[in-house]
Amino acid sequence: MGKEISLYVHIPFCDHKCIYCDFYSIITQENRNSYISALEKEIHYVKSLLAVQRKISTIFFGGGTPSLMGPKFIGEILNYIHKNFNVTESAEITLETNPGTVTKEDFKEFKNLGINRISIGVQSFHDKDLKFLTRIHDRQTAINSIRQAAESGFENVNLDLIFNLPGQTKKEWIENLKTAVSLPVKHISAYSLILERGTILNKLVLDGKVKIGDDDYDADLYETTIDFLTQSGFRQYEVSNFCKEGYECKHNLAYWDHREYVGLGPSAHSFLQGKRWWNFSSLKMYIDKIEKSGNAVRGEEKLSGNEMLEEFVMLALRSKGLNLNVFKSKFGNSWLEKKKKILDELKSGGMIYFTGDFIKLTKKGYSLCDEILLKII
Amino acid sequence: MKNIRNFSIIAHIDHGKSTIADMLLEKTGTITPREAKSQLLDDMDLERERGITIKSHAIKMQYTAKDGVKYDLNLIDTPGHVDFSYEVSRSLAACEGALLVVDAAQGVEAQTISNVYLAIEAGLEIIPVINKIDLPSAMVDTVKAQIIDLIGCDEEEIILASAKQRIGYEEILDAIIERIPPPEGDDTKPLQALIFDSVFDSYRGAIAYIRVFNGVLKTKDQIKFFANQNIYMAEEVGVLGLQKIKTGELRAGDVGYVIAGIKDVKETRVGDTITHAKNGAAEPLPGYKEIKPMVYSGLYPSNSEDYESLRDAIEKLQLNDSALIFVPETSAALGFGFRCGFLGMLHMEIVQERLEREYNQNIVTTLPNVEYYVYKKNGEKVVVDNPAEMPEVGEIDHIEEPFVKAQIVVPSEYLGSIMKLAMDKRGVYKNTTYLDPTRADVQYEFPLSEIIFDFYDKLKSISRGYASFDYEFIGYKESDLVKLDIMLNGEKVDALSIIVHKSKAYDWGRKVTSKLKELIPRQMFEIAVQAAIGNKVIARTNIKALRKNVLAKCYGGDITRKRKLLEKQKEGKKRMKQVGNVEIPQEAFLAVLQIED
Repeated sequence: MGKEISLYVHIPFCDHKCIYCDFYSIITQENRNSYISALEKEIHYVKSLLAVQRKISTIFFGGGTPSLMGPKFIGEILNYIHKNFNVTESAEITLETNPGTVTKEDFKEFKNLGINRISIGVQSFHDKDLKFLTRIHDRQTAINSIRQAAESGFENVNLDLIFNLPGQTKKEWIENLKTAVSLPVKHISAYSLILERGTILNKLVLDGKVKIGDDDYDADLYETTIDFLTQSGFRQYEVSNFCKEGYECKHNLAYWDHREYVGLGPSAHSFLQGKRWWNFSSLKMYIDKIEKSGNAVRGEEKLSGNEMLEEFVMLALRSKGLNLNVFKSKFGNSWLEKKKKILDELKSGGMIYFTGDFIKLTKKGYSLCDEILLKII
Repeated sequence: MKNIRNFSIIAHIDHGKSTIADMLLEKTGTITPREAKSQLLDDMDLERERGITIKSHAIKMQYTAKDGVKYDLNLIDTPGHVDFSYEVSRSLAACEGALLVVDAAQGVEAQTISNVYLAIEAGLEIIPVINKIDLPSAMVDTVKAQIIDLIGCDEEEIILASAKQRIGYEEILDAIIERIPPPEGDDTKPLQALIFDSVFDSYRGAIAYIRVFNGVLKTKDQIKFFANQNIYMAEEVGVLGLQKIKTGELRAGDVGYVIAGIKDVKETRVGDTITHAKNGAAEPLPGYKEIKPMVYSGLYPSNSEDYESLRDAIEKLQLNDSALIFVPETSAALGFGFRCGFLGMLHMEIVQERLEREYNQNIVTTLPNVEYYVYKKNGEKVVVDNPAEMPEVGEIDHIEEPFVKAQIVVPSEYLGSIMKLAMDKRGVYKNTTYLDPTRADVQYEFPLSEIIFDFYDKLKSISRGYASFDYEFIGYKESDLVKLDIMLNGEKVDALSIIVHKSKAYDWGRKVTSKLKELIPRQMFEIAVQAAIGNKVIARTNIKALRKNVLAKCYGGDITRKRKLLEKQKEGKKRMKQVGNVEIPQEAFLAVLQIED
């Protein structure tokens, strides 16, 4: 059908592995050529799945550290995408970068390739935090990177920050937010630190070698974040995402609106026609599987009607709210009627509110989003 | 009849009752040494694990005495726990004598004493046996003195044995023949057969183990059970060897079994008398009692969908356990379940364990309680076996609870701590007698409710395992009791209500509220946890509201995982019990069972 879809490209290469990161990445670039050629084959595979009319409205280069690979590498992939798909004129094309991996020249070249949104993995503006997280950059490099992106013509810049880092005081976190809003950025992703299984940080915490703030402290920082960014002209449109008016990340909105997307590269997920599938994570397996069978699918699931509904509600509530009209047109009325009592309770408990055709989470509701979902779903 | 001897073995737990039995079975050629795997008579897994006999059984041995005469020796085993003292008394009633087995290293214990009294009451000839004389720690002289003191026998009457070393069996077998009188009875009188045990076989139905006192029971006889007057045909009659041996008849004095196509062990009640449907005996044998549960508890399925399956399991279990009673009950907190009555704590634990192990049931149990007599101001008497059914405070005139007479045998050095424990448990001291200069037999009266819970464990721990304990029910007495309710955000959690002595209510309330605070996860709102008597709150604590529960990132690759996680957590929530708007994990109900009084 003619609906637009989103495209995610996973670039699994990193300079090194940070202690908190659980994304699939490898630190050597030996496989870059076989990766590119596998990616091209995968593009062919995806093309065979899509009807001709499908246009691509967003592209997101995530990682890993896509910027590490340089403009030429990204350009090659983009070229191949353009050759095989119909990318809309106004498509949002995002590149994830890490400070210290991109020069001003690089930014310019990325811009020339058609990339129009830059996401910068700053994480903190305090050197002690950056050291702890084993990032390669420091405060100044981060600030320079943001300025260079802006000076290179990127108007749509995001930066990632993490709160409730070990030893981080509330004052230090607020300083991070202050620095962020003083820079030329339109979008801020502020994440509570997630202890992912298998990461060094998780082990340090489990072993008691590193302490992180408890849930109450985390909630305190989170609510402070919402208040601060809202007062600084940013709008919260998802649990961890804030932007200036009109600068929502379209690519991520596609996920949260439960729209279709296709993921390329190791560990990437796709969602098409009620089916979700995911690729092998290891680069070697990814390449081998593509060489053998033209795709890298490791597993898939066909979503039941109920699973579709659950995901729709879960994603909508996390982000801009549940659009009742859209919901009813997709799933009918009966579910909402069944949930009326619990929704009313949540409303009187100050967790959600009704506005127009939407059910939205309050500030308290965002903090307890998963708890609310457990009650509703 | 003069060549029959019917006897039991009485002993404190672990004093070697089963090994003595094995030795006799082996030496009479009833079983081969290879078959004499330890504790042959205990055939339930649980019995072997706990080293106690839950159900009694019987077995027939043949022995040629020194004079060349062949004797039939019927060993009737007795259950080894106070919960089953009625069954013990019925087994003893089927005998003319008993071996009293005492461990040479342990000496006389509480259970030894109480069983001896039961045997003496039943008029049995008692043959004292000191077992385990080969142990380095054996103190044969001391134990001899204790036994002489206990039953007033002569020193020469005491047989020294080691069942493990197969020492003493000849003396025991000879004593059984010489000292225990043959059964009396009359083949020509109307049939009177005592049921001393019954088991359920899924193919044959209820099998009654009986001792014939008068008359003859033959296959195809129409027989009548006195307790409920039901009539059946005796399909099969025989004696109990290692397996059942059909004999076609049982005569006065004999011990054996009868199968009569009976579908339920409730029909073959322990203590009941079987007679003939026509020309039967006018009177049953004395001593029959309806078994009455002493301890009650609510049993609920963990998952409310398993209610029917739990009912099936309990019904099946009941086929083999006539002492178990149950009625459906509903709890606001736990949903649909059953109020079950048990003979005692061990019986309750066995039932719960069998439900879980043999019938794969996941159950939540409520705090066990006894049965209370509540006298209302309007003169009405209400029997309460579930705290939730307690009348309102204002309606109550007074409450009575069951009391027991308890016997504690303990080395004198622990007397002080025993007395302190007894005081904590509202014990009323009666008297002390010394079994020998170092060991005392202390008698107390306790409210049954105080000893059903953790009394035995405490007793063991403060006496380093040396104290032993037995008790018997003596009747109901008035006590200053209150119903203590637990409330979450003002809603009563009926399954956590207890009836407790007023002096203990505050302490209990404090412990339960703080335990619940530990176990109930923080929820979206603050939860007030209160303990109250009537409208008066006596303990209170709060569970602070949960402030954060949200996954920070949820992008394309996270959605499936996140949805599955939610579904899993949702499943977990289903197992939570809901009271008002508060969700309570099942562990909270179970943890209350572990609170130390």
